[in-house]
Amino acid sequence: MNRSLSFEIFRYAAILAIVALSLVPTLWMASMAFKPIAEWSATGADLTWWPKSPTLDNFRFLFGESSSDLIVALDRTATQPILASLLAAIFGTLIAMIAGTSAAYGLSRFGSGGNLPLALIQLRIFPPMAVMIPVMIMWAFLGLIDTWYGLALVYGIVTMPFAFWLMKTFFDDMPREIEDAALVEGCSRLRVFWKITLPMMRPALASSALFVFILNWSDYLIGLLLTTRDWVTIPVYMASLSSSMTGQLYGAKAALGLIAAIPPVVLGIAIQKHLVRGLTFGALKQ
Amino acid sequence: MTMAALDANTPVMEHEDTRDSRRLGLWLTFPAQILVLFIAVFPILMQVYISLTDWSPLDGIGWWQAHELWNSFANYSDLMADDRFWSALWRTVLVMAICVPCEFLLGLGLAILFVDDFPGRRFLYSVLLIPMMVVPAVAGYMFFMLFQSGGPVNDILSFFYGAPVTIAWLSDPDLAFFAVIVSDIWQWTPLMFLILLAGMVGVPEDQLRAATLLGASWATRFRTIVLPRMKTIIIIALAIRVIENFKVFDNFYIMTGGGPGVATETISIYIYKVTQQELIWGYVAAVALVILIALSVVSALAIKRMSREVSQ
Repeated sequence: MNRSLSFEIFRYAAILAIVALSLVPTLWMASMAFKPIAEWSATGADLTWWPKSPTLDNFRFLFGESSSDLIVALDRTATQPILASLLAAIFGTLIAMIAGTSAAYGLSRFGSGGNLPLALIQLRIFPPMAVMIPVMIMWAFLGLIDTWYGLALVYGIVTMPFAFWLMKTFFDDMPREIEDAALVEGCSRLRVFWKITLPMMRPALASSALFVFILNWSDYLIGLLLTTRDWVTIPVYMASLSSSMTGQLYGAKAALGLIAAIPPVVLGIAIQKHLVRGLTFGALKQ
Repeated sequence: MTMAALDANTPVMEHEDTRDSRRLGLWLTFPAQILVLFIAVFPILMQVYISLTDWSPLDGIGWWQAHELWNSFANYSDLMADDRFWSALWRTVLVMAICVPCEFLLGLGLAILFVDDFPGRRFLYSVLLIPMMVVPAVAGYMFFMLFQSGGPVNDILSFFYGAPVTIAWLSDPDLAFFAVIVSDIWQWTPLMFLILLAGMVGVPEDQLRAATLLGASWATRFRTIVLPRMKTIIIIALAIRVIENFKVFDNFYIMTGGGPGVATETISIYIYKVTQQELIWGYVAAVALVILIALSVVSALAIKRMSREVSQ
């Protein structure tokens, strides 16, 4: 489509302006993360947009090194919360992928599953807060409160719908001829699934798993409700980064926020080809 | 693009529908069924039970003994008279009514800007997706910092105003409401953009070219060719945002804690705060159950309606 040059210039300027604006909050956090205390605690006229003397102090502080400028020391470093977020998100992804993939195959090939597909959509529509009260009671009863595996189990169930719908669309797209050929050769259905279909689906499995991992990693509310001290996740732990003596430790918060933000941003851009499919429950393929 | 999700119930494969493969199918769906039972069916039954009592975890009796505190529907009549609940519900709907259209229009505008190729398109596209990828709780912290009275937002305003501006964004009810909405729009406009652009790219080029040759203006082409073809995608994009926006908790709670007062208290924040502060879980269970039932009815109707719209 040919349009005038001035229109093209306008379009380019508009795009650049919007992109720049959308980056401001993220860049602000990144800048705060590398500022020394004098800069991140500055307000009003003393505010600096870019760290004048960049430092890694905030990161060191998070991992337990006491800072010379800051009187407070952390009673708990960020190591355990990062580990908690990682373990819960990884094992949650595993649970979601195993249950979701096999159910998706069952539905895609044999039409089994009954009303499972709709139940999974419903599950997605419910606000977690409204389902969590009995889960909290159950988890307390089963001794799963404040454990990474208790958290992983909930993550697995909550994100399984995504694993299910994503993998179902991938299975639906897969040509049946190869499976049929193997069946004719005398392979059992299960063997075909295990030895032929799954290996062929490796890229699809990888992008679905990454997508589910991002969702699990992004959780805040479930961690807030189900962990109390030992296994709090990163965002829950972040709230403790303030003290009555110093107020908000913006520098440390920004540093931890940056650590938390990097994995999903990198992974999300890596699988952007499948993002639309994942976000729309497989209803749209790009 | 294809519609896969909504026709999921139609049997996919008829041939060699032997008993063996049916049994395998059952086994394959078994883990998922168990998990759903574990998190949905059983907890909801438990919730019904507890919602009819005054049980709280501090009573010192197990939840299974909650019937000792039976209060025969008192929680539900309390709920009808609970102004804070109704105002939280109304606020949630208001947030949705502001955020979703803004995100949709911005996303649509961005998608229009991005639909034709230009140098750097792929890179800028990836950059635009970043807000959506940031952990929502972290986004909450970002905007909490941005909206401090000595923070960068006021710094920019001071620059334009010419004198120091020290607006206490998060302590004024109206401004706090505005601030949380800005954070939501910032984070989720990219999602709309992503989905709408995917739909726009699918519009066949030759139809557009033919229309151009016939002298149709850009606006006409957009209205008569592009928009009708995007109907399904627009419905899906709006539905996703409406669903997700109703649950909103993370960034709101971190930015304001639902305050000042109850100025930014949405339904999820309301339930959370009642769970933490009042500790009458019987009542909270009743609140949550009412929300779940209302949502089930609305969503069942919407899914039915949507499948009809989409299949047209």
